[in-house]
Amino acid sequence: MREELRPKLVGARVKRVEDPRLLTGQGSFADDYRPAGMVHVALLRSAYPHARLLRIDTAAARSMAGVVAVFTGDELAEAARPMVATSKMKDYRATAMPMLARGKVRYVGEPVAAVVAASRYIAEDAARRINVDYAPLPAASDPLRAAEASAPLLHEEVRSNIVLSREFARGDAAAAMAAAPLRVGARFRFRRKAVLALENRCYLGDYHRGRRELTLYSATQVPGIVRDALSELMAMPEHLIRVVAADVGGGFGGKASVYPEELLVAVLARRLGRPVKYASDRLEDLLSTSQAFDEIVDAELGVANDGTIAALTAEVVGDVGAYSIYPWTAALEPVQVVSFLPGPYRMPNYRGRVRGVATPKAPLGPYRGVGRPVAAFVMERLIDMAARRLGIDPLAMRRQNFVAAEEFPYRTGSGIIWDRAGFAECLTAVRVALDYDALRRWQKEARAAGRWIGIGFASYAELTGIGSKIPAAPGMPVNTGTETATLRIDPSGSVTAIFGVASHGQGLETTLAQVVADELGVRLEDVRIVQGDTAGRAYTTGTYASRSAVLAGGAGKLAAAALREKVLRAAAHLLEAHVDDLVAEGSRVAIRGTDRSLSFREIARSVYLQFGRMPPELQEELEATKLYDPQFGTTSSATHAAVVEIDPETFDVRVLRYVVAEDCGRVINPMIVDGQVHGGVAQGIGAALLEELVYDGEGQLLSGSLMDYLVPSAAEIPPMEVIHIEAESPTTLGGFRGMGEGGTIGAPAAIANAVTDALAPLGIEVTELPVTPERLYRLVEAARRKE
Amino acid sequence: MSGKRRIAVTVNGTRYEREVEPRLLLGDFLRSELDLTGTHFGCEHGICGACTVILNGDSVRACLVFAVQADGGEVLTVEGLGSVEALHPLQQAFHEHHGLQCGYCTPGMLMTALDLIRKHGRLTEAAVRAGISGNLCRCTGYQNIVTAICAAAAAMQSGEPAGDA
Amino acid sequence: MKPAPFAYAAPRSVEEAAALLAEHGGDARLLAGGQSLVPMLNFRLLEPALLVDINRIAGLDGIAEIAGGLRLGALVRHRMLETSPLIASRFPIIAAAMAEVAHLAIRNRGTIGGSLAHADPAAELPLLALLLEARITAVSTQGRRVIAASDFFTAALTTALAPDEILTEIELPDPPAGSGWGFAELARRAGDFALAAVGVIIAEAGGICRTARIAMAGVGPTPLRAPAAEALLQGGTLDTGAIAAASRAAAAAAQPADDLHASAAYRRHLVEVLTRGALSAAVARARKVVP
Repeated sequence: MREELRPKLVGARVKRVEDPRLLTGQGSFADDYRPAGMVHVALLRSAYPHARLLRIDTAAARSMAGVVAVFTGDELAEAARPMVATSKMKDYRATAMPMLARGKVRYVGEPVAAVVAASRYIAEDAARRINVDYAPLPAASDPLRAAEASAPLLHEEVRSNIVLSREFARGDAAAAMAAAPLRVGARFRFRRKAVLALENRCYLGDYHRGRRELTLYSATQVPGIVRDALSELMAMPEHLIRVVAADVGGGFGGKASVYPEELLVAVLARRLGRPVKYASDRLEDLLSTSQAFDEIVDAELGVANDGTIAALTAEVVGDVGAYSIYPWTAALEPVQVVSFLPGPYRMPNYRGRVRGVATPKAPLGPYRGVGRPVAAFVMERLIDMAARRLGIDPLAMRRQNFVAAEEFPYRTGSGIIWDRAGFAECLTAVRVALDYDALRRWQKEARAAGRWIGIGFASYAELTGIGSKIPAAPGMPVNTGTETATLRIDPSGSVTAIFGVASHGQGLETTLAQVVADELGVRLEDVRIVQGDTAGRAYTTGTYASRSAVLAGGAGKLAAAALREKVLRAAAHLLEAHVDDLVAEGSRVAIRGTDRSLSFREIARSVYLQFGRMPPELQEELEATKLYDPQFGTTSSATHAAVVEIDPETFDVRVLRYVVAEDCGRVINPMIVDGQVHGGVAQGIGAALLEELVYDGEGQLLSGSLMDYLVPSAAEIPPMEVIHIEAESPTTLGGFRGMGEGGTIGAPAAIANAVTDALAPLGIEVTELPVTPERLYRLVEAARRKE
Repeated sequence: MSGKRRIAVTVNGTRYEREVEPRLLLGDFLRSELDLTGTHFGCEHGICGACTVILNGDSVRACLVFAVQADGGEVLTVEGLGSVEALHPLQQAFHEHHGLQCGYCTPGMLMTALDLIRKHGRLTEAAVRAGISGNLCRCTGYQNIVTAICAAAAAMQSGEPAGDA
Repeated sequence: MKPAPFAYAAPRSVEEAAALLAEHGGDARLLAGGQSLVPMLNFRLLEPALLVDINRIAGLDGIAEIAGGLRLGALVRHRMLETSPLIASRFPIIAAAMAEVAHLAIRNRGTIGGSLAHADPAAELPLLALLLEARITAVSTQGRRVIAASDFFTAALTTALAPDEILTEIELPDPPAGSGWGFAELARRAGDFALAAVGVIIAEAGGICRTARIAMAGVGPTPLRAPAAEALLQGGTLDTGAIAAASRAAAAAAQPADDLHASAAYRRHLVEVLTRGALSAAVARARKVVP
């Protein structure tokens, strides 16, 4: 077969390798491991948002049958150092997060004491027998109040609840704004949100006293980061620590940080010398897993009469919760709001300022999209507000202000570089898919018939596959910019490909196998991907920030190319042919244009087993390790369109139609990309319409169950149309761009714009998400009172 | 009345006898007593549907039924549906149509879909969306799950293999 | 999130169950479908010493025709209400409302007796019991008594049942001949508890409204009737103006409270909207304008 005609796996709709085990209940989620002698942890969590811990009486709990041990923070103080997320960012105040609270508690749900018992049932019984004397302290739950100088301090040692601040500026935003013929602006608010993976966090520590080895089975996205952290916090060398994240039931950022409970089971396993499991329940998940969004954004856009954007200013207050999440820091989410706010638009003048305020709530952390869902919500609303005032079509206004093809690479107001990407192509594709003019005509007719129909758009750009030149979180001292792959062929000719990434639903065992198999010239079924396990890698982090296809894909390509050369060298000797005449294809190496070939198995057996068959210089392991660093990363972008209908009486919002055109560069597996977009959009629709973590003024969580924290079901999510614009990235190997987060970035903005469009006859602007029937009722009532 | 009780439950065709505390949830019984870890807990208060199994022919939440209540009964879990070597038509349809990502909600989704198909036969897209609205999935946006269930329902009615491949 | 320990009994007869309740009183809880009780146990909001599982009592799961109505055993499941031909022909409003109750796996287990005894103020079956003027039978070792639905729901999650009483059956008197029904609710998501729900029964004779019943849920500590709104309709013509006035009166009769999901004002507004819709549907059904 001629090389150019061979079927490529990259680009094909390959069914997933992971599926059969997951479909038959044979997955290995952390809670599925049940080693002999395992004991269970239940945590006593703080009932107070802010209180001094006076006394913790664990005697009654300790004396219960089936209880192995009970620990308080003070009792484990020597077992591990507290976690401190550091940053090189100026105006960032590092604070420590304890494993178990010591001295005082800083949010409802903070772990105070740990019970270890024969079962989770007994551990919970015992946890309720622990008596804690709390001395409640005043607390400011509202971030604006907490930012005031007179507010009670959560962390006395940093002398302010404002734990970070940063500013980005380009041009003279103030002057340009003053000169702009049209200024639109508002206070925008995106409420606090739960990440909510279906699998709760779960950790199992297993310590072998004889070998002094610790294995942590963790529902984590970042086994490498966890291993590094455990080593440092527990003062253990890393070669004695292995972190395994086999099957992980969704992450979305909530499992991308290191958690106190994770450290705790490791510490307890070492202390007790037996397997210790902590499986969070849903209430604990809602109380303590890192949370998302919760920014207040005062933003203004200055626009010329022809629709050209002149200036953008924004003041952001982010409610970062009680602790700075490890290792990303409390800066991650709010700072990204300001750094991505200008979006895919030409922005000559920009000033964005952000402050992060500590409040008595669970820590804010990474969530699918990080900062960009809020940035897109604000920016895309501003664009629509301006377009409406100027009588310009919202799509035309976007297109007119997009960074144009000839301007790439373009440096944004905050210093991000957009490489060549398909901004305009995505927008055009959406316009065509919608049959936009006809849709607007239909909307007009429907409105005349009394229906409240709205059409909304969102365009955004994001940085994905970030290399070592840019920290994934501002000032963070962890290198997230490289990925290494080791590929080896064993005597049976099968291929093991070892990566540091950690799939939690993305299907990396399939997509990386596609990349490796194509590059190496083997069949897909001959490749096994090893991932989600630190054992195989000297340094690794995990899967987050839309990095794995780009970084691991690139590393896999490099390693496969290097290994193919070794295979071809060996084959050339065995076939007595020149390397240049050989082609690897379908797990065989053939002499081009002949019927002479050898299978990978025959080659491998010759190399490893048939002693003396190969000359000394060809006696080498069929193994290659390559590191890949995309340096800066690449630009991913999309335009989303939502069509919504609002019931004019109940204000119930239905999403009738949803279209996404996205540019993720070269598509490895279109089926998987579609699935990622569907899932991301569903989360974005949830964020826009349903999902909200509600704390009362004292810092008590009111939405502590799935009856009150509303995750969208199949009945609320519409069918979606996804269009791929494959503008291959000029800056990454393989032309891949990251795409796991985009759906969640675009959807809230598109829904907000569609709802606003539906309400246009009333002159209502949606400035707060989620936009619930209750909020719509109040908006409509207020608008009608004004009339 | 108090203390442990001896129960006999037939799970996936095998009869098991165990001594259990009355408070042991059926899901924990399956997972910890029988080592059938395919049934997953997602909320333990009956909302997410991840732990759905078939009890005496009806889909139920394994977090809202005690093991003692299943005494003398028959349970079908995902492990009893098909195997890695021979997927059930429903599992096959999920595989063909990419109806799963992380796989955590999948066992409950499959058992709900099985009950829906057994009770309704062929299903429209709207009926599937309503029918699985008690099973939360965070990865797929439901689209491919709906497609897979519609395809499986059609295939199971006609006896044809599911999927379009 | 695991329940606290409890003792467990699975009596085979109502008498046996009643004896257990008489012995343990408030320390015991009845377990029927368990779809509301078990979450509360898992959250440890309740820690009863004894669970009396009535699912193994024979004879409580039937639907029977009686003179002028139907008799439903306490263990009749939501799923059976949804699919029973008898319910579909005699009380189509129940079958229709069941589609709004939670999800298939919940409806497979949940029981009518459990739902009424749990008395969630936003649940459909308590609303329907009130609307349909159900008679609820309670049995204890002291004997049996029948409680009118209007006397049954006393406060949020609280009923007229004594701690030693078992709800064993529900009698539903047929609504007036030729009546029409309407049911409307709004929930945040499919299957969620209603922000507000309204059920109505209307009967006309000679163009005059002879019977008007309006009941609502989610807008008070218990399901509520709207007597003033009903009075506005009775004896008059069921035109748009009358329906609008009655809907406003129903909204005025609601006793909503603010919570996480909706304000009292919005809920009151919903009552008006939903009542209007339910009344219009009921009038259309009574006049056979819709099937």
